[in-house]
Amino acid sequence: MRIGIDVGGTHTDAVLLDNETILATNKSLTTSDVASGIIDSLNTLLKKASVPAKNISAVMIGTTQFTNAIVERRQLSDIAVIRLALPSGKGCPPMIEWPDELIKAINPSIYECHGGYLYDGYPVADINFQEIEAAIADIKHKGIKSVAIASAFATMNAEPELQLANLINTEIPDCEITLSHQIGSIGLLERENAAILNATLRPFAQKVVNAFESALKQHAFSCPFFISQNDGTLMNADFVRAYPALTFASGPTNSLRGAYKLTGKDNAIVVDIGGTTSDIGVLQNGFPRESNRIIKVGGVRTNFRMPDINAVGLGGGSIVRDEGKRIGPDSCGHKLVEEALVFNGNTLTTTDIIVANGNAMIGESENVKNVPHEVVHNAINTMRETLNHHIEIMKPDNTPVPVILVGGGAALIQGELPAASEVIRPENADVANAIGAAIAQIGGEAESMLSYRSMSRNQAIFNVTQLATDKAVAAGANKNTVRTIDIEETEVPYMDGDIRRVRVKVVGEIATVERADAQLSEQQTGAY
Amino acid sequence: MTRNTHVTIEDLEALSMGSVFLATGGGGDPYLPMILAKQALLEYGPVALIAPSDLNSNDYVVALGAVGAPTVSLELLPSIDEAGDTLRAFEEHTNKKVDAIASFEIGGGNSLLPLVAAAGAGVPMIDGDGMGRALPEAQMMTYAIAGAKPTPAVARDYAGNTAAFSTSDTQTYERHIRSFAMAAGGMITAAEHPMSGEFIKTAIISHTVSFAITLGKVLMQHRGHVQQMIPHLNACFKSSVYGQCKLLFEGKVTDKSVAIVGGYDVGELTVASFNSEPPVTINIKNEYLIAKQGDKILASVPDLIVLVDIETCEPINAERIKYGQRVAIIAVECPEFYKSEQALAAVSPRAFGFDFDYVALSAK
Repeated sequence: MRIGIDVGGTHTDAVLLDNETILATNKSLTTSDVASGIIDSLNTLLKKASVPAKNISAVMIGTTQFTNAIVERRQLSDIAVIRLALPSGKGCPPMIEWPDELIKAINPSIYECHGGYLYDGYPVADINFQEIEAAIADIKHKGIKSVAIASAFATMNAEPELQLANLINTEIPDCEITLSHQIGSIGLLERENAAILNATLRPFAQKVVNAFESALKQHAFSCPFFISQNDGTLMNADFVRAYPALTFASGPTNSLRGAYKLTGKDNAIVVDIGGTTSDIGVLQNGFPRESNRIIKVGGVRTNFRMPDINAVGLGGGSIVRDEGKRIGPDSCGHKLVEEALVFNGNTLTTTDIIVANGNAMIGESENVKNVPHEVVHNAINTMRETLNHHIEIMKPDNTPVPVILVGGGAALIQGELPAASEVIRPENADVANAIGAAIAQIGGEAESMLSYRSMSRNQAIFNVTQLATDKAVAAGANKNTVRTIDIEETEVPYMDGDIRRVRVKVVGEIATVERADAQLSEQQTGAY
Repeated sequence: MTRNTHVTIEDLEALSMGSVFLATGGGGDPYLPMILAKQALLEYGPVALIAPSDLNSNDYVVALGAVGAPTVSLELLPSIDEAGDTLRAFEEHTNKKVDAIASFEIGGGNSLLPLVAAAGAGVPMIDGDGMGRALPEAQMMTYAIAGAKPTPAVARDYAGNTAAFSTSDTQTYERHIRSFAMAAGGMITAAEHPMSGEFIKTAIISHTVSFAITLGKVLMQHRGHVQQMIPHLNACFKSSVYGQCKLLFEGKVTDKSVAIVGGYDVGELTVASFNSEPPVTINIKNEYLIAKQGDKILASVPDLIVLVDIETCEPINAERIKYGQRVAIIAVECPEFYKSEQALAAVSPRAFGFDFDYVALSAK
């Protein structure tokens, strides 16, 4: 049995699954002490389903803690950044165009050194050991314990990053090092940014993971736990300690994957309606469609592969104006329980509208009896039209697609949506993201720029697949179960030599859970 | 139209935005060139912008910009000293002092690189460019069409290695400089097409730097639905070297097929109408070249075809166009320069392998 938990900004959702069957679900408010909140959810689930803790083979956790740490500029550690790319990039130093407060919170020591490679393997410059030694001595002197390293074309030749990491660890053995090629794809500036964000989160990740571990142990959960990545796959505890930044945007991904699991629709639009926004995403072959835009995290350009989400200012706390003809984008947010009419407040919200329309029983329905019928009618139409319009934008083509409504605010949408071939409101939709976390597999992804002239296409894809597989295994996958789920080949314009960008994504089953499940079934067999 | 006498740091964002609009889907991302220009202007102060008509007849001018594969600059980042060093190497090679710098193309990142060189050298940048938009090849530049020789030319790579070129014609030059770019990791900076002040007056699309700044400001100030933007755009283009600006179509991207053919992004995309109108297809070769509805050609190169986000009017690069995007197709009639027989031989639809002649937007 597996447990999936999604720790959101407001709610912590949890689900207990026995293979495909949902045994119990739970929704609670997110507490400031996340680890104890998780334990409370776990215990509530087990109680609801009358299952002992030892039957749980794995706990999957989706958390926004690391994204929030960047956005709120807290729990960030001082770091050093070393870039190996000179003489290229003079005037485009690391962290250029970052928000000032974020730079202040990270307090970076930046070193630009010679090194890196061109796309074809020719060196940009040889490593200058004097430069490197001076940088390492300075880092040591300052007592910095987390370093980000980025070198030009590291996704094609990681050797300079690895070499530098060795040199640092010889001098400063307890220094944690984030290598850009392990965390980002093509785009030096964006990949370096990702490595920096990761480096500044590592000490916090250590704390968070340790807290989860000891909390689980204290409560007799002997099973391993895993954390959701931005692409809907999982990583084990050690991997999270090293790559906390890979958790960014795992929330929307989990809700898309959960919607797929709940409906079996592998090509559909998923609308997750929360308190402030409706997040519209697209399922393609059961996985989220990824955005092709530069994604900013806390005001920083990164090239993380994030799900393509259209966030519309329409949620359960959205404020209703102009006789119901204008809704949001502002929302009462978590103050809904004080400000909405049904909670004895003074603000007309979308929640009041659906209570007045008889679609939901929330708070004091008496309070909305006097809301004019026309306002209710207008508001219901406005919400439906707004959502339909944004679904149209996200649809892959003109043919109507299945639309899956999940999240606490799904009742806001009444009647048919013209953009949809059918509107599906699955049972347990309010915990779709926890389900998405629970069903996830371990993932790995690699990208490289290669010439099909210097090696065959098959060899090129094989090489990149190998890199992706190594990553999946490091994140906790059983090597024998790893399979490729996506190969992307992009030709590079203005280049001869048949140069392509090749990206491969793989997934595999969790190595330890299989073992745990196998042991469990042996024990059960033995009991009979 | 406002004619700027200087380009300041405050103008750079607008210049970038305007340059993406005028890039008609190609041109490369101006983000990194803008960062470099910002630092150059921070260090050296505003760059003087000189109108082509204000150049002295015997002034020595040169066109400067980046040549190569934009994808490569994602890893091989440009350096702030590249543009200035290229200019210096060119002056050493020709043993002549350059009086003003011209831009290859106003579309994309090459609208900003001449500023970096001009700032460092303390020479003015010419208010104009060699395309009035973005186009894929050197022989499509107005300088080449007007008969300027591409060489002597000097190109510099990321490490400061330089190459000097002396070729018989622009097409040969294009081949040679591209092979240098490949050998140097895919991207280089070049100073080429040296011209006299007298010559460039008739060989340049004038005032496009000022115009791109004005256009960028309009796009930022009135950011919003295309219907409310169009009057502002019309007013903006009315007092420019360009002809009329016309909203051709609104719809949703329903198909996109792009392949690399001979080093270029070649493809087609389909935009379906929100009502019962037939869909519009756009032919792409790095830039948006042709817009047609059934057999009817709505607009074609060298007129500008621009795709913008329908809600924000932000111009969308051909690489970033994707299924489902709601776009407006805007066409702008090209500057008079490109309507001559000589120019059309280089940039008409036939020059791109299409089987029909150019008909100006205003004649449709």
